[in-house]
Amino acid sequence: MNSLQANICLLFVTLCWSTEVIIFACIPSTVPPFATTCITSLAGAALLVLSFYKRIVKELKRDKSKIIRHGALLGILNCTYNVLYLYGLKFFDVSSGAFTLSMTAVVLPVILLTVRQKVSVRTWISALMVFLGIIIALGSTANVGQVQGAVMIGIGCIVRAVYIIILNRYASEEDPVAISAFISGIVGILSAVLLFVTEPGGFASIPWNKQIIASLAIYSYFIVGFAQTLNIFAQKKSTPANATIIYSSEIIFSIIWGAVLPASIIDKTALSPWIILGMIMVVLGNIIEIIPSRKAAYDEA
Amino acid sequence: MKHKIRTYIMLIIAYLVLAVPFKTMQVIPGFTDIRPVMMLGPVYALFYGLPGCIIFALMNLFMDAVSGELAWSSIAGLISNFAGPFLLFYYWNKISKTRPHLRSFGNILHYSATLIIVAVLEALIITPSVAFFYPDVDIKLFFITVVLNTALFPMFVGIPLTILLQEELGFKPIVLDRAEDKESDD
Repeated sequence: MNSLQANICLLFVTLCWSTEVIIFACIPSTVPPFATTCITSLAGAALLVLSFYKRIVKELKRDKSKIIRHGALLGILNCTYNVLYLYGLKFFDVSSGAFTLSMTAVVLPVILLTVRQKVSVRTWISALMVFLGIIIALGSTANVGQVQGAVMIGIGCIVRAVYIIILNRYASEEDPVAISAFISGIVGILSAVLLFVTEPGGFASIPWNKQIIASLAIYSYFIVGFAQTLNIFAQKKSTPANATIIYSSEIIFSIIWGAVLPASIIDKTALSPWIILGMIMVVLGNIIEIIPSRKAAYDEA
Repeated sequence: MKHKIRTYIMLIIAYLVLAVPFKTMQVIPGFTDIRPVMMLGPVYALFYGLPGCIIFALMNLFMDAVSGELAWSSIAGLISNFAGPFLLFYYWNKISKTRPHLRSFGNILHYSATLIIVAVLEALIITPSVAFFYPDVDIKLFFITVVLNTALFPMFVGIPLTILLQEELGFKPIVLDRAEDKESDD
């Protein structure tokens, strides 16, 4: 996979994540999110193990403790930022919330700088564009009551940035399929624990029917199994900063879904001029990062 | 032979895994025909050639049958679902001087263009039969839906899947004699 292909794959992964709301639209809101995360993560992990059994066993034989340790660390970080996002997003409407999540793209280069890793000028420019996009989009609607949510999402973004940096490193060290299976398995187990702590009823509130089973199945193989594994493969040829900026395009997809899909699936997004301008800035930030420089294209050729 | 049968069974399972849940749930209310399984046509054609095209077309007919949607127009569906992937396979092996390696912008654009053309051709095969047997169907909407399903899923999901299979999981596209193994066409 070259860097152009990695960027295309990362963009596709981001598109997949943005469809989560569509896939889960037929699951009633009374079903706890930890229940769906638990089921889809465990099913995704099981699917990966079934499909790549020999490959995963081979990896385990190579260094069992290391891959379990790495998978556990990534699983815990993944679960942590998702919980923070889950509670933090309750303070925002759909479009504002989506913009706040993109703060990872701004936080990550700063974290890289603090650990003395080199960040290219192009990435700084992209991160600045994304940051300006967020400020422009949120500026007109932000209020004091959202501070608590903003803090939660801010911490979530820091945790996610750390997760991406570590994932990027492990993507080169570990087999992407095996590490993806372990991350899913750990996230599934942690979600089960969180489910039984927050909702003692556990899975009892799920009104099982064909539609719910179908949407959980689609999420399991499409987003957990396929997109997450593809993400790790793509990370091998990408940098954490590059990947995060591409992830920030999720807000564009989310806002498009919010504008074009019926209100029964997603809260309708009011497209104000500020949000459109914010989106344009994020798109520009992405374009600057995605288009390979002449030097990079020459090196790869 | 045993390996081939195992491969064909895997292709059938992959098709069912992708098709069955989307037949069961209505993803967008009022808009039933969302078919991500269409992304598999080009993938089966490129990596498995003629047998892949046949399996794809037959599975589409099988899904029509088990979901109670079997009709006279399913024959046109069978033909178009075979013809589309086969034309892609034929084009990339007999006409194009390059392979669909998807390693450059030029090649990805070239590949996407062939997907769009094939999608239009498939819609042109199916639509007249639907118009003939079901005069009540909104033919324009049907045509657009077929084109969108047959072009967008192979482009937005099929291309990343092909990259993954080809670059990371060791799958090799079938290359017939006339195709020149040229790495770039831009």
